[in-house]
Amino acid sequence: MLETGIRQFRMAMGMVWGRKLDTANLARLVEDALATLAEFGEPGSDVQQVLDGPLHDPAARRDFINRSLRRTARRLDAQSPFYQRRFAAAGIAIDKLDVETLRSIPVTVKRDLIDRQAEFQCADSSRYLATRTTGTTGRPAEIWLSRYEIELLSGMGALAAVLRDEVRSSDVIQVNVSSRATVSVHLNAAFCRLVGCGCRVIGIVPPDEALDSLTEGAVTLLATVPSYLGELVVAARRRGLGPDDFRLRRIDGGGEVLSASLAAAARETFGVTQVNDVFAMTEVIPVTGRTCSAGHLHHDINMGLVELLDLETGEPAAPGALSTVVITPYFPYRECMPVFRYDTRDVVRCLPQETLECEVAGIPATSPVLGKADQILRLGPADVVTPRELVEAVEALPSQPWPARFRAQLADGRLRLRLPESALDGLSEAGAYDHFAERGLDVDLVLVPDEDGPSLRPVRSDLHETTFVATPALIGE
Amino acid sequence: MSPFQLSLMEFAVAGTGAVLTSAGALSYLRRVRLERPAIGTFNSRDIRILFTFIVFLPLLYALLPHWALTFFLSVTFASALSIGLRPLVGPVTLWIAVGTLIGGSIWLSRTMLGTVSGWQLSWLEGDVLVVLAAVAIANLYVQGGMKFKHVAWFALVLAGYDLAFTTVLPVNSHLAEEFLGWPLDPSFGMRFGLYNATIGIGDLLVYALFLIAAFKAYGRVAGRIAMGLIMVFGVAAVSVAPLVLDSFITARTDVAIPAQTLFGPAAFLAYLWMHGRYGRERTMQEFLASADVVTPASAPAVRPAPVLEPVPAPSPA
Repeated sequence: MLETGIRQFRMAMGMVWGRKLDTANLARLVEDALATLAEFGEPGSDVQQVLDGPLHDPAARRDFINRSLRRTARRLDAQSPFYQRRFAAAGIAIDKLDVETLRSIPVTVKRDLIDRQAEFQCADSSRYLATRTTGTTGRPAEIWLSRYEIELLSGMGALAAVLRDEVRSSDVIQVNVSSRATVSVHLNAAFCRLVGCGCRVIGIVPPDEALDSLTEGAVTLLATVPSYLGELVVAARRRGLGPDDFRLRRIDGGGEVLSASLAAAARETFGVTQVNDVFAMTEVIPVTGRTCSAGHLHHDINMGLVELLDLETGEPAAPGALSTVVITPYFPYRECMPVFRYDTRDVVRCLPQETLECEVAGIPATSPVLGKADQILRLGPADVVTPRELVEAVEALPSQPWPARFRAQLADGRLRLRLPESALDGLSEAGAYDHFAERGLDVDLVLVPDEDGPSLRPVRSDLHETTFVATPALIGE
Repeated sequence: MSPFQLSLMEFAVAGTGAVLTSAGALSYLRRVRLERPAIGTFNSRDIRILFTFIVFLPLLYALLPHWALTFFLSVTFASALSIGLRPLVGPVTLWIAVGTLIGGSIWLSRTMLGTVSGWQLSWLEGDVLVVLAAVAIANLYVQGGMKFKHVAWFALVLAGYDLAFTTVLPVNSHLAEEFLGWPLDPSFGMRFGLYNATIGIGDLLVYALFLIAAFKAYGRVAGRIAMGLIMVFGVAAVSVAPLVLDSFITARTDVAIPAQTLFGPAAFLAYLWMHGRYGRERTMQEFLASADVVTPASAPAVRPAPVLEPVPAPSPA
């Protein structure tokens, strides 16, 4: 207890002074948290303060943001060639930087990361692990993380998850994300090592193989992407599997739109009460977002600044407006290739904070991610259709076409929706139109052969990895 | 007084102190929950830190001038009392009680020591202070996760320490003499005629720790055994020792007995026996769920709401 107090003090001082945190100290704090749970069954009563920080007071939060921004910008100005030039061009005084003057610095976009990758690396850090975005939105960007970042991010994640009882030492986590998502896979493994739980990294393999692993009875947590979750649900139902065949406690999904219908189907099929829709993005890691019980997306305010900029004007978005999420991870949480004012192009609706009544109402929130900005369809000045609306509508079809395959385009001022033929199974033509109309979508439907479905909308589960499991042996049979 | 009468007097004083402190600590453990930090449970490294404090603190006490020592003790007692009283009374009552007890000790020791009854009143007030502080600290440690195993090792190491610091480097006996008649004497004692009989707060703290750690670990039977050992080795043996040993008589002809030297080995052996007989100790969670708690733990603490941390998640685009 005394020793833990000293460790917490050291970590708190590191955060207050903005110095790099001692990751070995953090790992020992995870051990302390596990020992605390083993002895008491729960953390002490002020755990919320430890997890969320004292940032519910707007004035304290503003002061914290300004100090964090200056600290982060000061380091980038000294270490990052890209931001040295960018700050100089913007003519900002870093020591006076705050949330208002911040807007004079242009946002960083994915194109910057792709075209000038080397300029983002800080001179005082060493590269350790690279991860590439999957390229579903175009050319992939490559992000390097340092060893410090990997140790810090896994440690912070493990500490928070243990204190929230999201992960226990007795758990086994099955990871069904692309094996090329190196950071995600690496973090999962490091996280499990710290917590002392099992980690089964399987990848995007044929769904039946993943289901075989899930039904063995060891796996209690599943981390995957929504499209692959859809494939798993479909395969499980085809095999007649139900809640009694699984020991799952929770499913974490992220990186794509998770529809309400798919989440409900996953809960029903796998017998879990929770399917978490997590907002995470390699470029802005470790700033993440979680969906609360009211369906809001609450953004992390401790490790980065989240700005909501109006899609039209680029100015701070008014409540109700569609906005793009712009994120600045703070130093010392990013070291190797940090970004500053990174425009994720993920679109959300801005929610007025005073109307929030959920369990985390003190933390700013938005609507869930509605899709990428370049995939928004505009039928009129105030009439837009978001990818989420389309995914929700398609995945709610009686045929349960998970993951949703469709392509939406504007044609003669109307929304044209291409779907695989089987998506409308069980519905008459009129019934199909009614289905979309009930969801506020006045569409013209075009059906394509099922085999053309995957080309309509690429999803992450398309990155299937080959295995020998289902292949007959070539020799020795 | 004859040596036998002195032993009886010591037995009465030490016994009263041991029973009041141990029973008070046990009652508190069964009824009151202290706040604890979000993360942290007592471990063996904490015991080493604690022991380091115990070794160096008396040296500091011996070096400090009396006014500084009184200030230091005031802060120490105020902290201990506030920890123990906070779950029981509101902040105003708490600080009035703490102020009255500490202020009363200072006032009584400065004005009332001219008569035997004045000494007795001063001792009585100080005894309340000492018992309350020991009850609070014992509970702070055990409710903070200190295990029976830790207490047993602590008592064993203190046995050697106590012997060394009473005979080879007699800081403890020097301090006992120095504290006598000064405010906030960290001892439980009483005066009868010309004689003062005392037992140190450290000894009382170890007895209380031993009892409640045994009770928490193994239940009522273990608690009864622990209390019996406290009375035999922590009180009776300490009181009788001067009748058979004259090696603890100081230059001022005061008798200073290293109580932990007698109690520590017995406590450690008792722990080994109980561990062999009963097996794994109960965790605090298991203890709170048992019938040994008078007021069962109320509704389990609400888990923190799900928010915002980088639980490793699927890789984004």
